[in-house]
Amino acid sequence: MFKKILVANRGEIAIRVIRTLKEMGIRSVAVYSEADRACLHVREADEAVCIGPAMARESYLHIPAVISAAKVTGAEAIHPGYGFLSENPVFSAACVENGIVFIGPSPRAIEMLGHKSSARKIAVKGGIPVTPGTRDCVTKDYLKEAEKIGFPIMIKAAAGGGGKGIRIVREKEKLNHEFEMASSEAKAAFSNGDVYFEKYIDCPRHVEVQFARDSMGNAIAFPERDCSIQRRHQKLLEESPSPAVNQKLRGRLEEAAISLADTAGYVGVGTVEFLMDREKNFYFMEVNTRLQVEHPVTETITRTDLVREQVLIAAGEKLSLSRARASAFDGHAIEHRINAEDFSRNFAPSVGRIEEWIVPGGPGIRLDTHMYHGYTLPIYYDSMLAKLIVWGPDRAAAIARSRRALGEFRVGGLSTTIDVHKMIVDSPEFQTGDVDTGFMERLLKSRQ
Amino acid sequence: MDIKSLGKITKWMESTDLEEITWRNGESKISLKVNNSPESHNKFSSTITPVCSPSIGVFRFAHPGKAAVLKEGMTVKKGAELGVVAAAKELKPVPAPVDGVIKIISVEDGQAVEYGQPLFFIEPK
Repeated sequence: MFKKILVANRGEIAIRVIRTLKEMGIRSVAVYSEADRACLHVREADEAVCIGPAMARESYLHIPAVISAAKVTGAEAIHPGYGFLSENPVFSAACVENGIVFIGPSPRAIEMLGHKSSARKIAVKGGIPVTPGTRDCVTKDYLKEAEKIGFPIMIKAAAGGGGKGIRIVREKEKLNHEFEMASSEAKAAFSNGDVYFEKYIDCPRHVEVQFARDSMGNAIAFPERDCSIQRRHQKLLEESPSPAVNQKLRGRLEEAAISLADTAGYVGVGTVEFLMDREKNFYFMEVNTRLQVEHPVTETITRTDLVREQVLIAAGEKLSLSRARASAFDGHAIEHRINAEDFSRNFAPSVGRIEEWIVPGGPGIRLDTHMYHGYTLPIYYDSMLAKLIVWGPDRAAAIARSRRALGEFRVGGLSTTIDVHKMIVDSPEFQTGDVDTGFMERLLKSRQ
Repeated sequence: MDIKSLGKITKWMESTDLEEITWRNGESKISLKVNNSPESHNKFSSTITPVCSPSIGVFRFAHPGKAAVLKEGMTVKKGAELGVVAAAKELKPVPAPVDGVIKIISVEDGQAVEYGQPLFFIEPK
């Protein structure tokens, strides 16, 4: 086992990783930028080194600085956390080149699964459902192609991305017109008029499955997480298990995740994301080859430590959990992401000094945060202040506990999204569990 | 307390490292807070200029294969290369920020240094 590990991240996730390292008896090294001298992860680690100026691209994203920090401190492995360099194949390759273990999958796996079309190919090979669509660009017979998929469909620009060049067609009468529009739009925007068709999923749920696979080929999957509460593709609240998934469907989701890990020859911890329609059909969306922000909900209902499993896998050891143990769970968990944002001003970021910091506690509460009274939030990084994770013996009890905990949470000095979470837990739609990715937009509109 | 004394107290606080004081006089009470974070508190008056490491890494007085010549008391020109910091495969030069005399050398050849760590102190000319 490793004696010393460097954590190439900041804030709450760096602290989260350091906590497990302490429990495993492994020494930890924190890295920090000039703007983060007062950040809590610097104090929690056994050692800390300054790696660069405030701008992330010159510090947390600067590969030579992070590698050099591991070398000068004698760390044998690097845990990347999430964000920053966690899904960068160049970084993971640089670790290997310098004789440092990267705690995560191989550079090849990151590249293969990080790329949408190659990840989709692996999913198809593993027998995992993908959104029906035309494999290649559509040039003729497009009504036939569209009917094969079934309306509604999406027309997507082959050269597009980030939501650009997408048109939704709900009935066949509109196809001709929309096709011409999409094609000429694509030509104007990307100087390439090629388009393809994909099934449009109305009001989908975002459901994802955490999996892990060790170097001996043992693979496990955990109960699904439901992350349908999003605003502009940013997750706000996650829960596990999903209120829309029964035990039979859960088994199929876990099966799909394990098949994907096996097909890709994946070694490490990862997450496969699915879109689920109203009829509970699920379709492969993408793979995240790192620990995710919402991993604590899984840890809470399964009583496991995912960082510990990551470290074991990276050290070439066997997973400490059997397949049956990983899928067994107890109760229900909800995570609230508390951000420094002013929702009355369209979620504008709020910066400043924390003048009051009174946190919830008591039974079933976990708070992952790097905040403290008197801390000044730097403007250079993300706006997440804390993750409040609550556990209850069932979903209704967890929601009641969320309401109680959010009521106890008091932050002074800057605006937070605590009130947004209160609105969510008070909404009848959320309470019945009948939500989809359009929920937040509807909720915010109804409040205006 | 009048406005004048408030101004005086604030001025005085800024010359210390106090961040907050509370003044009680019978029933009345006044609290003063100033921004005295270490970054904004730079009252030291000294002409000596530190030369900080441009990177985390290993410090070398000279490029590999070249002899080190730097000594305390030497005169250097602005922009002269005082050493290099090796971070993984990157070599970052350490230039003199001003014309002057090297007063203190606070680093040894082959020493691991952090970003921003003072390596030399120069008395400007």
